[in-house]
Amino acid sequence: MTPSRPELPKEFVAGHKRRRMTDAMASLSAERGYEATKIADVVRRAGVARKTLYDNFDGKEDLFLAALTSFFEDVEEAVEGACAEAGGLWGERVEAGLSAFLRVVAERPHAAQMSMVESLSATPSASARHDAAVRGFVALLDRTTPDDERLPDTLEESLVGGVVWVVSQQIRRGDAAQAASLLPELSEFVLSPYHGVAEVGSNPGRESDSTVADFNA
Amino acid sequence: MDRLPRGRHGLSPEYVARNQRERLIAGLTEVLYERGYQDTTVSLIGQRAAVSKSDFYKHFESKDDCFFAAYEAAIERLRHDVLQSCAEHREDPWPPRVRDALEVLLRTLAEDPALASISLVEGLRAGRGVYDRYQAAVESFVTYLREGAPGAPGGGEVPEATDEAVVGGIASLLGRRVLAGEAQQIDELLPEVLEFALTPYLGTAEARRIVSDG
Repeated sequence: MTPSRPELPKEFVAGHKRRRMTDAMASLSAERGYEATKIADVVRRAGVARKTLYDNFDGKEDLFLAALTSFFEDVEEAVEGACAEAGGLWGERVEAGLSAFLRVVAERPHAAQMSMVESLSATPSASARHDAAVRGFVALLDRTTPDDERLPDTLEESLVGGVVWVVSQQIRRGDAAQAASLLPELSEFVLSPYHGVAEVGSNPGRESDSTVADFNA
Repeated sequence: MDRLPRGRHGLSPEYVARNQRERLIAGLTEVLYERGYQDTTVSLIGQRAAVSKSDFYKHFESKDDCFFAAYEAAIERLRHDVLQSCAEHREDPWPPRVRDALEVLLRTLAEDPALASISLVEGLRAGRGVYDRYQAAVESFVTYLREGAPGAPGGGEVPEATDEAVVGGIASLLGRRVLAGEAQQIDELLPEVLEFALTPYLGTAEARRIVSDG
């Protein structure tokens, strides 16, 4: 091997191919459902050799789980990043996280449908992956919002369950691309139970366009 | 579900058929709760219901067909109990009506974990056809919640997405408890679930006051 041919491009190509295969799985399973999606169709849509697919994945379920994981990791990264970058007020961090989630759904509607709707009935491992993602959101919301013993212990589970349900319904109606339109209603839904036990806080510069500010008004 | 007496019993064929069908539905619901969807087979359902395999196929085309019927029956039972409670408390103001309906719902689920499992967990997991039914069931409970609900605490209407989020959130919380094997303790969640359901409409303070008034 010569120094002028570093390994990076090869890895880059391999990563790109993996992404093409998981993307093809996402769009096919969103269109037809997991059951009806065949490896031959994935190979054709991804434009890769059948051997390439089996070099990378054990089979259909393994590919499906990898595709789910890729979506949920994107969401987790975007949501946690947005929370961290938002202002110091917890209400703003919750809203920023929610907004980031809706943005990923809108940007990747097929992957969202596969991960949030199809995954539940595809295989037990797939629904477990969905559950794990939901548990992650519950923990994040719990960390971000104020602790108060008067609030129900199950509040974060109910809130995340409600948000996931509404977003799943939006996806099923074929309106994933407009997911961001849910932000004002969902922000209010998530923040309102904490009202009265803690100040959500307002940012004077954003009063006109912020539901956190509306909420506090 | 009781078995019929053996031999000559003088029961009409229609009665026998209906009884078999109901036993199969109850059998599937139980086996499903014990083993999960994948491991629930037509033979196991038949064994549990004491109905032969060939009689099974007189009533249902497939396991899925029987599953759909069992799912519909489960939802119908929950709907019946909730609607009856709503009807009995028709004259009450909205908050205690919601409390009574939720109490009935949680008690029905806690008393019958297999019913809780098929309606809250398996209905989401058993394939595309059932998901549509699960969605329709959630939507129907949204209608009950919305009926007579007050506007938002700060004025104006509570948005539709909020009604959906409340019912979807409750269904999700209860489903997670069933998955964790805690179906029988679901009725203990009443205060938390009630506070969660009332808060978007009444605000935290008023919701909490109603919860603590019992």
